[in-house]
Amino acid sequence: MAKVAEIIHQVEDHDAEVRTGLDHALTQAAKFFAWAIFVAFLISVVEVVSRYVFNSPTFWAHETTSFLIAAVFLIGGPVALARDKHIRVRMFYDAVGPKRKRVLDIVNSLIALVFFGGLAFASWIMVSKSWFTPTGAFHLEGTGTSWNPPTPALLKLLVLICVVVMFVQTLLHLIAAIRRPADPAAPVETGAE
Amino acid sequence: ADYEWTFQTSETAGEPGFVNKQKWADDVATLSGGRIAIEILPIGSVVPHTDTLDAVGAGILQGHLTDPSYFSGKDPAFAMMGNLVGAWSDPFELLGFMQSGGGNELYSELVEPYGVKFIGAAATEPEAFVSRLPIRTVEDLKGVKLRAPEGMVYEIFSKAGAAPVSLPGSEIFSALDKGVVDAADNTVFATNQALGMNDIANFPLYPGFHSLPMIDVSMNKQIWDGLPEDLQEILLTSVKQFSFNHIYSVRQLDASAVEQAKANPEIEIINWSGDERAKFRRIAQQEWQNWAPKTAMTQRYYDAVTAYLKGRNLL
Amino acid sequence: MDLSALGIEYGSYLLVAAIFLLLLTGQPLAWVTGLVALVFTFGWFGPMALPLVTSRIFGFITEYSLVAIPMFILMAALLDRSGIAKSLFNGMRILAGRLPGGVAVQTLIVAILMAAMSGVIGGEIVLLGILALPQMLRLGYDRNLSIGVVCAGGSLGTMMPPSIVLIIFGLVANVSIADLFVAAITPALLLLAFYVAYVLFMCWRNPELGPPMSEEEAAQESLASALRSLAAPLFIVFVVLGSIYGGVASITEAAAMGVSAVMIISLFRRELTVKLIQDSLVHTLETCGMIIWIGIAAAVLVGVYNLMGGNRFVAQSILAIDAPPVVIIMVMMVILLVLGMFLDWIGIALLTLPIFVPIVIQLGYDPIWFGILFAVNMQVSYLTPPFGPAAFYLKSVAPREITLKHIYVALLPFIALQLVVLGIILFFPPIATWAI
Ligand code: NA
Ligand code: NA
Repeated sequence: MAKVAEIIHQVEDHDAEVRTGLDHALTQAAKFFAWAIFVAFLISVVEVVSRYVFNSPTFWAHETTSFLIAAVFLIGGPVALARDKHIRVRMFYDAVGPKRKRVLDIVNSLIALVFFGGLAFASWIMVSKSWFTPTGAFHLEGTGTSWNPPTPALLKLLVLICVVVMFVQTLLHLIAAIRRPADPAAPVETGAE
Repeated sequence: ADYEWTFQTSETAGEPGFVNKQKWADDVATLSGGRIAIEILPIGSVVPHTDTLDAVGAGILQGHLTDPSYFSGKDPAFAMMGNLVGAWSDPFELLGFMQSGGGNELYSELVEPYGVKFIGAAATEPEAFVSRLPIRTVEDLKGVKLRAPEGMVYEIFSKAGAAPVSLPGSEIFSALDKGVVDAADNTVFATNQALGMNDIANFPLYPGFHSLPMIDVSMNKQIWDGLPEDLQEILLTSVKQFSFNHIYSVRQLDASAVEQAKANPEIEIINWSGDERAKFRRIAQQEWQNWAPKTAMTQRYYDAVTAYLKGRNLL
Repeated sequence: MDLSALGIEYGSYLLVAAIFLLLLTGQPLAWVTGLVALVFTFGWFGPMALPLVTSRIFGFITEYSLVAIPMFILMAALLDRSGIAKSLFNGMRILAGRLPGGVAVQTLIVAILMAAMSGVIGGEIVLLGILALPQMLRLGYDRNLSIGVVCAGGSLGTMMPPSIVLIIFGLVANVSIADLFVAAITPALLLLAFYVAYVLFMCWRNPELGPPMSEEEAAQESLASALRSLAAPLFIVFVVLGSIYGGVASITEAAAMGVSAVMIISLFRRELTVKLIQDSLVHTLETCGMIIWIGIAAAVLVGVYNLMGGNRFVAQSILAIDAPPVVIIMVMMVILLVLGMFLDWIGIALLTLPIFVPIVIQLGYDPIWFGILFAVNMQVSYLTPPFGPAAFYLKSVAPREITLKHIYVALLPFIALQLVVLGIILFFPPIATWAI
């Protein structure tokens, strides 16, 4: 029975593949960002209590929770990428030898770079529209409520940041894959073909 | 067809507004002799409802038929022009203001920098109010937990003594059903009745007094500018036609829904007196004054509306 | 490159083929779907249309009902780390006594309770995946059976009221949400009954699949200690259900109430530490990242497919049929099942319901009944490859040696059961409509 507990623990902490320094930094940063979920949880409870017990719903809880969770969703992308946790269909990938696997890694990184590059371009347009009016004046897009926090503008910027981070992560993975020896027994220095 | 366009709307496919907007597209096809074919898509089909203005400007969508309040986060003028809470109790008053009180000109000016051409305004019947509690006067609003969406509504209900709750549309039904909220600002009476809202919250307020959103029919400006004059005229005229058709159709639907609700002994429809409506409008007016100085445009809009309402002896 | 020259029919085929091909490379699924959507946006409409992609990303992440997902995952992570999960399953094992498969049956009952606590899929499966899967494996249950129970049971949340699927159907079809909720209960329980019967039958034939306690073990364990270990989980269920049905919290907020219940209990058990909270939060963040980015990519794909005229393609397929009404309904079911292999339910709803519902009404059928058929169909779509959200949710928390292929194979019998229930409701509408 203890063995299963170990397996579970291992799944969560050890078999993640942290490949580069940036990935490591993101894994560390995740420990800070994750508290946003805790804050969102506390705010939800505060809203329920003040509404149900004191009959005075807050004007800020709903939008703040939405913002925090949306930010968590976005940041989760690079963090999961850092630990190689994104879901893949590995049937074919696991069946090939190290040499082909390296080629696949390179091709996949290149494809992913196209994806993140395209997203970065599109996010850039989205961000500029939410930070500036059509006449070019600086104005943060808000939620449009009476409170009107500028969370849409901030989240749109966060989309751009996360996409750019994932672009750089992938670029580093690509470099690592190119440098990796095609023959896993060979030392790294002589690895490049 | 010479022109094939996609217009996104602000309704789900089952709502009367969506069906009527599809009829408008059919009319445009007929009037243009098949030269214009417009596909009408429900809310959220291509881009989220808050993003159609940008999408039309960029030419991703060629047009939209929507509630301008959704763009309030871009400019407070959209909140005021989209739904000036408490101002209108009849859609023809709103349309009258748009046509002859300067509304059309101001709104055109507002959207033009986004690369969008305002074709025309339509309106719906005043929205209904669903409630678990009998709310017969402004006084009765005190302490009522009511769901209010974006825009000016929240603050106005708060001033009227209610405890507004912000909830997304998809949570309204369950929240009302279980009593998380006592009342909700929702769409027109006919739709509420069809969705079963009046069955779980038995004291609907009808005709509504608080919310009468404008429907903005707009399209990409570059495409508009390239159109031959006769097609431009067809679009302008057909939107006027649409606004009549839409109002009368919702009126008819509301009427038969009211009859249906009256046949149910558990539902009591509450109709506010003229005095109570005026009381509410005076509260709303204070909030208009708060919004007016936000930008040059909100001020101009505020001045135009108050002048129009005074001239009609409604203020 | 002008992809629009292909026309919608061949465009659809190319889109599906591209997704399949790219999936085989082992590229993360989210990037595959997203990239195909991005390339089609660019190739069909040109570079000026690209903001559509990011616009949908923003729209998806700010969907308020999704706030419940991290709360459910957090709840699960806390339960798992605090040891409440382990004692719950120990207790369930004692309750199951000598009945083969007894723990799996109880897991299904936990699943239907959770279904009544939530409206969106995702959180529940992750919760069951973290909570029940390792425990069932620990107790010697068959892997496939355990996976199937978790995914099929966990999907019931969108069938059992409150359910966002039914609310959206009601809004789209303009029919009573109250009636939909009432009509959904019997079919949801029917699905549950089929799952239970299947588990019991399989374990009766081969008790190895769900091994009961031995005589000696049974003699050692007391019923009283079993019931004690169930008290804490029952308190959590009571808090969540109580806050929904007592009108205290909205469905989304109720998940946060559940988190506080778990925290209070583990505080009393002296298991709550900052480290435990920190670890649970990081786990939640990472799991959200995995499953939400798949959702984001799917949402982008739906947006561009709608703009390409995907809905016209669906409409053509229906209008081309000249057959009795029931055949048309069956064709609709087949279309939904096929789309269910590639899109998530909200995309399918956006794409098909505006076309299907008016036809259903015109044919003289009850739209409420069709809504239930739709909901059951979406149950199937959660499990079917290659895009099976339930499989992804489970994969995101399952031990790494459990691959997607294992999960999909394990789900096949449960998909078959769902199809049987779909057929039953199709041919015996009163199963859905008797109560309204
Ligand atoms: Na549910
Ligand atoms: Na599927």
